[in-house]
Amino acid sequence: MLKLVDIKKTYTQPDGSSVPILDVPSFEMSAGEQVALIGPSGCGKTTLLHTIAGIIKPDSGTVTLDGVELTRYTEAARDRIRADKIGYVFQTFNLLPAFSALENVVLGMSFGKRPASKTRATELLDQVGLGHRVHNKPPAMSVGEQQRVAVARALANRPALLLADEPTANVDPANQRAIVQLIRDRCREENVALLMVTHSMEVADQFDRVDQLAELNRVVADARAAATSDENAEANA
Amino acid sequence: MNVLKIAWRSIQHRGLGSLLTVISMALGVMMVVAVLTIHGVVSQSFKNNNSFGYNILVGARGGGLQLTLNTVYYLSKPVENIPYEYYLAFCDAETRQRELKHSIANIAREHEAQTLALATSGFANAGGLANILTTELTKASFSYQQDASTKIEQAGLYKRYTDIAVPICLGDYYVDEATGAAFRCVGTKPDFFDKLVLDVDTEEKFSFSEGRAFKEFGPDLGYYECVVGAVVAKRCGLKLGDVLQPTHGDPTSAGAHIHEQGFTIVGIIDRTGTPHDRAVFLNMEGFFLMEDHAKPVEDDSLLGVNNDDDSDEGYGTDEAQSDATAGSDSSDLQEPDPSLKRIPLPIEQREVTSILVRTSRDDPYGTLATFLPPQINQGDLETVLDWSPYRPERSQKAAQAVNPIEQITSLFQVFVDPIRWLLLGLTLLICIVSAISILVGIYNSMSQRTGEIAVMRALGAGRWKVMSIMLCESILLAVAGGVIGWFAGHTLNAALGPIVESRTGVSLGFFDFAPGIPLAYLMNGVSLPEGLARLSVSPELLIIPGLILVAVFVGIYPAITAYRTDVSKSLGK
Repeated sequence: MLKLVDIKKTYTQPDGSSVPILDVPSFEMSAGEQVALIGPSGCGKTTLLHTIAGIIKPDSGTVTLDGVELTRYTEAARDRIRADKIGYVFQTFNLLPAFSALENVVLGMSFGKRPASKTRATELLDQVGLGHRVHNKPPAMSVGEQQRVAVARALANRPALLLADEPTANVDPANQRAIVQLIRDRCREENVALLMVTHSMEVADQFDRVDQLAELNRVVADARAAATSDENAEANA
Repeated sequence: MNVLKIAWRSIQHRGLGSLLTVISMALGVMMVVAVLTIHGVVSQSFKNNNSFGYNILVGARGGGLQLTLNTVYYLSKPVENIPYEYYLAFCDAETRQRELKHSIANIAREHEAQTLALATSGFANAGGLANILTTELTKASFSYQQDASTKIEQAGLYKRYTDIAVPICLGDYYVDEATGAAFRCVGTKPDFFDKLVLDVDTEEKFSFSEGRAFKEFGPDLGYYECVVGAVVAKRCGLKLGDVLQPTHGDPTSAGAHIHEQGFTIVGIIDRTGTPHDRAVFLNMEGFFLMEDHAKPVEDDSLLGVNNDDDSDEGYGTDEAQSDATAGSDSSDLQEPDPSLKRIPLPIEQREVTSILVRTSRDDPYGTLATFLPPQINQGDLETVLDWSPYRPERSQKAAQAVNPIEQITSLFQVFVDPIRWLLLGLTLLICIVSAISILVGIYNSMSQRTGEIAVMRALGAGRWKVMSIMLCESILLAVAGGVIGWFAGHTLNAALGPIVESRTGVSLGFFDFAPGIPLAYLMNGVSLPEGLARLSVSPELLIIPGLILVAVFVGIYPAITAYRTDVSKSLGK
């Protein structure tokens, strides 16, 4: 369902030098599979999700989603594919404060081919336990409730893949588990593949498959190797 | 959820800022609409009123514009008067003979003729020298009459160039006691309603919602009939049979006083949408007879002497007399009502404010309209004044003739149009400031909204989509301001209507729109099919499209900023 091959991405710094961020030889997920991808901050987790979502284009390599090779398309085409096939849950929820919970969920269906449905949005909010707060706006909701709305919005367009970028980072520990469980349950019910990046082992422990980005990403591996060789050199000295 | 709704939600979210932006835009548009409509409707009305079927105004020498404003629009301070004979200079021989019978000179001549007849009959019996004297006196008498006849009993000096000539007298007002509203009184002849037209093209004449035009002399009311304009009748609650007492002079001046003589309303004119609606039209013969309206003459021994062959005993028609005596038995005969006496004011004592002249229609190239005024302006009319030794010397003599259309065009070119452009410039500045406030409002919100834009992009919205959301927001603000401003502008028009009406005589209401500009004029240089070229477009219709263009212009920068938003960097914000 998702296949990454030889993905490389570098960023150009203001001084003109290039910094490699991603070097992922291979990564695959099957339909409906749920994967936790863990790694420390700054190891390229978000860049990898953006690459999978088509928000950024890798310097080289291919991203194939549901049989569609995203990296062959223009940005506008990738936008359309994302609108139809990908759901996204952000670390900071990123709900639009001007919109009610219902409208935020409807917004998740507003850019794809399928018509936006208030009924589906209401059902989704009901399923995440917010059936009674559909008309409330985000500022009037708790952090946990906002994240539930964000989950409902990410599932609204019936995606093939849901990308979750540290969705529990801003949630209190008591709610972390519940949120993760909610996302996993909803994805399972909707038959949506789930790729959640996190730096929390507690979160990752809830998944059957846990991948280490350090093992996937050669850049991180090289950095670790370099750091290790530096440590050895210092020790030898 | 479509682009419009997303933009609308964003506007709502910035509630106060959006509201202030809309109000500022609405104020600008309100001013533009008010300036366009008030100027448009007033100037259209001025231009329409220029075509009452006359093309020359003759009045006292002075400001041509003041004469035009007085005569055509019943505005401005009254001008000086001119001798009545100037009006007769545009009349045919029959009219002149009929009118000039009512002159002191004519009465004196008849008296002298009677005296001569008595003298010659006395001398005729004496023989010799007496016969010679008789012959010379008879010759002298004949010569005097012949000389006078050649001046006064022939067609007027300018008759052959004239189709219509109607005199009007101004200076009196009708003040409604209840409201305090003052309306101009216009002394004129029945020809005003019989011969003048409201629209030259359609030849539409005055019509009456009630009653009729006044007569020069009626059996029941004598000279004292009047008709009132539709606005006067409505505002003052006047009806047929009511009696009006005009005020002499400007009612706000100290010397103003109410005339004792009243005029009975015999007709109410249908609404014309012109200054006539706000005027009271008095029979000129009655107007002349009111106190302070006759020019005093040095030898007044002959005044009040009736010389009208059409009446007996100085009263009106036989019917009038029978009406006056009806119901009375012979033993209880009363004096007839003095107001029914048919004794008009002598010509020498008469003055008019202006003469409305329509040059002969046998003049397809309009040369008469340019030929006559210079002749009158060089003083040719003054040659018609030496027919009567009883004419008061202090009477205003110098006359001028003006083309009212030229005067109004000049007024507009010199004063009104520059003021309009100035006002439009100022109001457009308000609109530009409002537009900039839209730009500032949206742009200031951009820093907060970069994250929102990034989220929408992450949810699949393309760059053009987020750009169109920004533009839509700008357009919505501008259009909301435009629509509110349009209604406010027309509400302002309705509120200012009474003031505009009192100053200009032009009625202005909520549903009066700025007059259209011909499409051919707007598309200058572009050839259009005949049907399209004839179409006119009200400038008001261009306001909203214009605002949309402005909104796109000011919204394009935030829109481009939205377009360029780096989703990857902004998602964490």
